[in-house]
Amino acid sequence: MGEVILTMKGIDKSFPGVHALDHVDLEERKGEVHALMGENGAGKSTLMKVLTGIYKKDSGTITYEGKEVEFHNTREAQDAGVVIVHQELNMLGHLTVAQNIFIGREFKKGIRIDDKKMNEEARKLFDRMNIDIDPRETMSNLTVGKQQMCEIAKAISHDAKVIIFDEPSAALTEAEIAELFKIIRDLREQGLGIIYISHRMDEIKVITDRVTVMRDGTYVGTLVTEDSTKDDIINMMVGRVIYEDPKTENMTPKDAPVVLKVEHLNAGKMVQDVSFELHKGEILGFSGLMGAGRTETARALFGADPIDSGDIYINGKKVTIKSPQDAVRNGIGYLSEDRKRFGIVVQKTVAENTTMATLDAYANGPFINKKKEKEVAEKYVESLATKTPSVDQLVVNLSGGNQQKVVIAKWLTRNSDILIFDEPTRGIDVGAKNEIYKLMNQLAAEGKAIIMISSEMTEILRMSDRIIVMCEGKKTGELDISEATQENIMNMATREIN
Amino acid sequence: MKKKVLAVLLGGCMVAGLVAGCGGNSGDDAAKSEGGSEGGGYHFEVVVKSFQSTYWQAALQGIEAAQEELGVTTNATGPNAESDIADQVNMLNNAINQNPDGIALAACDQNSVIESLQSALDKEIPVVCFDTGVPDAPEGSVYATVVTDNEAAGAVAAENMYEVIKDTIANATEPVRIGEVNQDATAANIIGRGMGFINKMKELIEADGKTVAVIGNQLYVDSVENNGDEASADVIIEVAVPAQTTVELSATEAANIMNKDDTIAIFGSNQVTAEGVLTANQNLNVLAATPDEGIVGVGFDAGATLKAAVADGTLIGAVTQAPVDQGRIAIETLYKICEGEEVSDVTTDSYWYDAENMEDENIAPNLYD
Amino acid sequence: MANKTVTKTAGTNKSFIDRMGGQKFIVLLIVIALFIFFCAMSPGFRKYTTVVSILDYSYYITLMAIGVAFPLMTAGVDLSIGTGLVCYSLIGGYLIVHQGWPTGAGMVVSILLGVLFGILNGCLVAIMELPPFLATLCTCMITRGVGSVVVGGFGIPWPTAAAPGGWFRSIFKIQVNGMNIPIGFLWIILIVIIMTFVLNHTKMGRYTLAIGSNKEATRLSGVNVRFYHIMAYVICGFFAGLASISYSAIFATVQPGSGAGFELEAIGGAIIGGVSMTGGVGSITGTLAGVFVICLLKTGLPFIGLTANWQQIITGLVLIVAVLFDILKRKKEGK
Repeated sequence: MGEVILTMKGIDKSFPGVHALDHVDLEERKGEVHALMGENGAGKSTLMKVLTGIYKKDSGTITYEGKEVEFHNTREAQDAGVVIVHQELNMLGHLTVAQNIFIGREFKKGIRIDDKKMNEEARKLFDRMNIDIDPRETMSNLTVGKQQMCEIAKAISHDAKVIIFDEPSAALTEAEIAELFKIIRDLREQGLGIIYISHRMDEIKVITDRVTVMRDGTYVGTLVTEDSTKDDIINMMVGRVIYEDPKTENMTPKDAPVVLKVEHLNAGKMVQDVSFELHKGEILGFSGLMGAGRTETARALFGADPIDSGDIYINGKKVTIKSPQDAVRNGIGYLSEDRKRFGIVVQKTVAENTTMATLDAYANGPFINKKKEKEVAEKYVESLATKTPSVDQLVVNLSGGNQQKVVIAKWLTRNSDILIFDEPTRGIDVGAKNEIYKLMNQLAAEGKAIIMISSEMTEILRMSDRIIVMCEGKKTGELDISEATQENIMNMATREIN
Repeated sequence: MKKKVLAVLLGGCMVAGLVAGCGGNSGDDAAKSEGGSEGGGYHFEVVVKSFQSTYWQAALQGIEAAQEELGVTTNATGPNAESDIADQVNMLNNAINQNPDGIALAACDQNSVIESLQSALDKEIPVVCFDTGVPDAPEGSVYATVVTDNEAAGAVAAENMYEVIKDTIANATEPVRIGEVNQDATAANIIGRGMGFINKMKELIEADGKTVAVIGNQLYVDSVENNGDEASADVIIEVAVPAQTTVELSATEAANIMNKDDTIAIFGSNQVTAEGVLTANQNLNVLAATPDEGIVGVGFDAGATLKAAVADGTLIGAVTQAPVDQGRIAIETLYKICEGEEVSDVTTDSYWYDAENMEDENIAPNLYD
Repeated sequence: MANKTVTKTAGTNKSFIDRMGGQKFIVLLIVIALFIFFCAMSPGFRKYTTVVSILDYSYYITLMAIGVAFPLMTAGVDLSIGTGLVCYSLIGGYLIVHQGWPTGAGMVVSILLGVLFGILNGCLVAIMELPPFLATLCTCMITRGVGSVVVGGFGIPWPTAAAPGGWFRSIFKIQVNGMNIPIGFLWIILIVIIMTFVLNHTKMGRYTLAIGSNKEATRLSGVNVRFYHIMAYVICGFFAGLASISYSAIFATVQPGSGAGFELEAIGGAIIGGVSMTGGVGSITGTLAGVFVICLLKTGLPFIGLTANWQQIITGLVLIVAVLFDILKRKKEGK
């Protein structure tokens, strides 16, 4: 680790009614990967927005390369060498890689854009990162992982001295993450300061040098990663110890009946000949890499995408599912991986979202009984411990974990017996994650059958009674939890087919 | 499968809609034009101002009459509204490209069609303008113009109105106001009609020793010679022009004038604006037979609503042009040109009609519904 | 984010304006302010008859606006209501005047035609998945043509108040001792109350807003999105049908080829009243207030001596302000 390049001291920022940052400190050295951790809403993003000039700080100082600075917009920050790599990729799919990297500052020859030079420069950047991407390739043809690399290349091309990674691994496969880490290490070697925001505890241990933890807009402390344990960090984040051991045995009763049987399901390229059974009270984990066809299987099962062929039996009876309506009628509930797009109606209230799937039960003919609706919403807010000031709150104002609880409530009001949780804890902070896990266990104990799709190995191992592994649209393995290990799952998930 | 059936149905609907869209303009004329080339009969393209006003439907009746009489074929088109100038130019160009034996044109805008008239001239297609003349047309392109003498038509309205209000003007101690609602300030015939009314009224009033000031729409005010001063004039003529030719906007403009205490008379210078005056009157209820009882209303053109208002005395009368004649004469003139005869400009008459003479045989045919 | 939002919307410290209904309330204030302004500026304006006229000319725009609010709230639009209105009125009137149908039957035909084109629009948008702008632009042209074809290009004078079959004109205006009483406004109020209820207390309204807010999430909740999406356009068409009757009742003659542009006033009114063009947000009372902003400008500006061209400029500017207000509000909420 080299000399200090960036110091933020006593940063304070208030929004109307909210004290978002309360005298937060952060110190970044050259050649250091510095993790910034905290639950959702702890103020990490706000702090980074203050740094890069999106928000104006109320008080405090930012010292960068020995001088006190204040950036007024991201452009100024970029020009000075402070660049952020966003979690959501801001890529223009129809342009080429090079065009994306140099957007807004294209090389020109007269009035003509010099694409050749841009391609050469992009190539140099990739060489420096030791990766192989064709700068002339159209962006939308690249995998998410490769797109992320381009985003990093774009950051480096600004002659960056400090790069902020905002949850860079959220959408990446294990292999891509490994590649990302290699790049980050290279950049560290070159003396750049790296601020790394992530929820994934195991990554923090692997890649970072120091960890700064925030909680509720305040600075909690900074640790040297090597000298601290996971539990130390989590304790600082949430102030309590979290149980995170894998499940060791199948908790499903031996005589539990099969509630869902899927035979030879085919739906597009991503679902090929998938068969499985789901028992009452069971949590069936679906593991696999990104793009293995797990979500597609769930969507086909739920009628969201058309089924080409295959049979579905619910409680032994063959059913036809052509639309989500059919699925809901048959007692299936689906909690999408992308809550904002598919799960909730953000501009509607908690109560309205809760009854979205069951409005008939709270309506007399076409008329909604708002009193009854409110009652049931309040009931679930209480039983799921959803944190919301009232059921009239707009869902957009809730945190990820609480939004997820609203979606769960939606399916519970429907009395769905089969619940499909697709990445149930994505974007949810550690504390809320645990509550979701507890809830899922409780639901299983009550006799609901649960399918859980997850890309997090620890989540799969901790929650599942049985595990189905998919790879490239096909089922490549089925394991009881007692025989599952990270290694054999990963083996199946990367198995070459044919 | 369901989707396919739907797609076919919708496609059908769309085609029907398209056919309907075109058919609305040409109607059964299209069918006639197909058989037109035989028998040495000529084919003429007719471009009217719009199909919105029933006025043009009356003109088409005249055209159809001429068609049968002379054994020629015609194809009539026109934009949806008289303000769709660009559409009309486009239609005119299409008509020229059909290489007809002649074109009858009622131009929405006298300047926009000049270029097209030049290409008609280049192709040696004779053009007869009707309803509205094109004063600046390229030399030789327009063979003849068949128009109402709009100045005279406006004057007819002014004369008949003045008959009813002259005693009031003569005896007035305070200034009085006469309103005029004009459809627009671009087409020559509308302007001519409006100015015909204003000039005649001014002339009549001044002949009786009173002074006149014209106020309101700038174009009309600027066109008045020796305009008086609003502050000192005995009679104020207020000219209003709505932004779009809708009854509602015309009614608002009319209501504005009719709401003024000193207003004694109002003139709506075409069908839409006259209907605007009537619509405003629905609430104001001020129109009357004499200035002592309220405001004297005069209309222009016909249509069921106007005719009813004249018949029951809400309007003291209205001026009608001779659209049937115009349509017929335009085609006849084209026919003469093709036969190699000499032609010259024709002015058609306009008639004052009121409850008394509406049924007369020289008037009734021009009172279209 | 959680800690922040909790404090923000904890309830009791809402501003006065928010408690009164937010944008709706502001628009209502603008309506009142405009009315007072025009009254002060023009003696002709402050007459009872002018008020009656404003109401007369507002009915058809209000009805169209209430209808079009539904497609707008699904993040769509219906451009066919203006020409549709004229088309339905022409055909209904044609049956009455030229085919001797009873007035009531002609009115029913007008409304049914509106519903029919609503279904067509709804199917094009919800089933064929045409962009609403395009689909309804096509039906806009179709209705324009169909109306002209049926009546053969002639204007249709619906029966006058005195004529037999003219009773329908007294739906909107009755005469008592020579005074015109604009009872149409009572119907409008009633309809606003009913549609407010529909929007806020029925599945129809709930799902309209949900579709506009997040169609896919609504679908994945097992809602018959297709049906409710179509219904939004059917409601719109139904109201265009109602609007056509109010138009026939107020104006003496319906002219074929007119009507284009009416829809923009209705859409403009709805947007000024707080209906969001990106869907998911809106109210009927706001729409009513928004329409009156447009109607007051339309009637008032000529009365203070500004020509109607200025009226269009000013209406455009008001729209920009309304849309900006909407965007700013959303930005504030988004943070």
